[in-house]
Amino acid sequence: MIEATSPTAVVRPFASPKARVEPVADTDTAWVRLVFRYVSWATAWLVFGTLVGEYLGIKFVAPDIDHVPWLSFGRLRPVHTNTVFWGWSSLAMIGMSLYVVPKTSRRSLFSFPLAYLSLALINVSVLVGNILLMSGINNGGQEYREYIWPVQAVFATGVILVAYNLIRTIATRNLDEIYISNWYITGGFLWTIALLVIAGLPWYQQNSISETVIQAFYMHMGVGMWFTPIVLGLTYYTLPRLLNKPIYSYSLGVLAFWTQMVFYSMIGAHHFVFAPIPWWLQTVAIIFSVGMVVTVIAGTGNFLLTMRGSRHAIGRSYSLPFILAGVLAYFLFSSQGTLEAFRSLQALWHFTNYTVAHSHMTMYGFVAFLIWGTVYGLVPRMTGREPAALLVGIHFWFALIGYLMYSIALMVGGSMQGRNWIAGNPFIHSVTDMLPYWLWRAVGGSLMFVSHLVFAWNVWTMRPRSRAAILEAS
Amino acid sequence: MFEFGKNHWLLFGVSFFGFIGLAFVVGIGPAIWVQRHSQPLPGAVAPTALETAGLHVYVSEGCVACHTQQVRPLEMDAVWGRPSAPGDYAFMRAAGLWQPYAPAVLGSERTGPDLSNVGARQASDVWQYLHLYNPRAVVSDSVMPAFPWLFDIKAAAGEGETAVPVPAPYAPGSGVVVPNARGRALVAYLLARRQVPIAGYGGTP
Repeated sequence: MIEATSPTAVVRPFASPKARVEPVADTDTAWVRLVFRYVSWATAWLVFGTLVGEYLGIKFVAPDIDHVPWLSFGRLRPVHTNTVFWGWSSLAMIGMSLYVVPKTSRRSLFSFPLAYLSLALINVSVLVGNILLMSGINNGGQEYREYIWPVQAVFATGVILVAYNLIRTIATRNLDEIYISNWYITGGFLWTIALLVIAGLPWYQQNSISETVIQAFYMHMGVGMWFTPIVLGLTYYTLPRLLNKPIYSYSLGVLAFWTQMVFYSMIGAHHFVFAPIPWWLQTVAIIFSVGMVVTVIAGTGNFLLTMRGSRHAIGRSYSLPFILAGVLAYFLFSSQGTLEAFRSLQALWHFTNYTVAHSHMTMYGFVAFLIWGTVYGLVPRMTGREPAALLVGIHFWFALIGYLMYSIALMVGGSMQGRNWIAGNPFIHSVTDMLPYWLWRAVGGSLMFVSHLVFAWNVWTMRPRSRAAILEAS
Repeated sequence: MFEFGKNHWLLFGVSFFGFIGLAFVVGIGPAIWVQRHSQPLPGAVAPTALETAGLHVYVSEGCVACHTQQVRPLEMDAVWGRPSAPGDYAFMRAAGLWQPYAPAVLGSERTGPDLSNVGARQASDVWQYLHLYNPRAVVSDSVMPAFPWLFDIKAAAGEGETAVPVPAPYAPGSGVVVPNARGRALVAYLLARRQVPIAGYGGTP
């Protein structure tokens, strides 16, 4: 049984008292265990992937720290990116989708064995893909698809099976409406399946320029048509549930959904502004990057207006602060992405560490924070076990301060890199001038990594109880 | 009629096929077009087998993480050579069954210099070997990784081999440093990075 702690029982000078969740656990233990299994694997990949990232960050200030081929920067960098993308964020999102979709369809998940098979396939693809990358076998250097195609195919099969599982669940829902969360979640799955197939077919990628056109399309959609819609979909469920009130506007959610699909699909080429790919394609990408402002404002506005008047509830919750921080990051850093697409700013920032800052602010400040908000918000309600509020607070502040330190250092440093190049200074100046910023990046990265260890402990404390224990408690 | 909120097949169908349609406009379509209209520049020489092997070492070691091979039509990029043209990449072909796509060499980050024209800028193979064995041996402030596994340490250089004159602080305790097959291929690839001249735009003959 959950302790009936009063929110005001313990006075902490720097932390507002956190409310406990209602002492009701989901009694479908098989379902809870499945979701928890996904979250646990995701957490393991998070710890591994960010340990690798931390080590890569150290290499910028200590390049001779090792001379082991398997650990060299060029081989390890894609291990970091692919692990946090496909191991951590994807598995966590999928796991929480396996809870939200059946919940909002008012029925049980279509198939449990299929869901376990997907988990196994995705885990195998990340594990094997990483081993191959470290031994120097990659797809050809295309970012975020460095795993060779047989490994990508295993990953894609896992995603396709989850999509089938979720769509069958939604198709046999026990209510008329398809809840808005499920628009975003299935949208994310369907778009990503199309994307994985398009990026996997080789015939129109036989020359470095045609390959670049596909890569531009892939690398942007891989983020924006997978992580973005699914974490937004999860938030459309978690936020109203935690605040115990409906979402501000269903129509705004629908508007953001369709504009996401139409505008976002067009903007991949802004990763290759000034590259020798068709100029019109770059211009189209820049124009639709501006169009994305509509989607981002509709989405953030909807969430913020839902939160309006609930400041007290957010302060008393340990999960809602993650969601608030994630929603604000979505607004700020997507808008930053729009600005970065302009040719004038690309001239300054392209190829610099500014881009690295941007990708961390979005994949971490936005995507990871919304995932954490969803995990902390929903998992205790499934398992009936809560993490210590103080430790969740430590996770929150270490992660937030860590990534801001990381990103601000790289934004300032990246701008200096660009200014160095524009000024025509010797190239090595743009390296030596970065050293203090790379050091700050490593410090911020360490805070982020420590927060992940705390998160892993918190996940452990939220683990499901045995069926006997639940029956005894109720 | 269009009740997306209630008809799941309509919702899923429109979002799935709508996305594929857009993918043809900005992805597959332009890719097919540029591939059909791409050919080597006049005067370009096809790479040797050794240079092609070097390209695969370049990709395998993840050099693309920190080095671009695209000179933008901007004044700040003039130091790297003339603006890159699609034809510059016409010889970059897929490596085979496991890597069926042309390698991505354009890059997205310039932590190290652009390499489009590095063969003209640093034409000495000895410099390239030294730099790969340990970049600090020739550029003291460099943060590039060392690649000692592209070399063998031998008691003495064999016939037809040349020892790399590694300076004392970086040299192994005993023996000489000799590039292995992968090291030789990579340096051949780097030395061949010379931009073919385009009338009015520059390049390196």
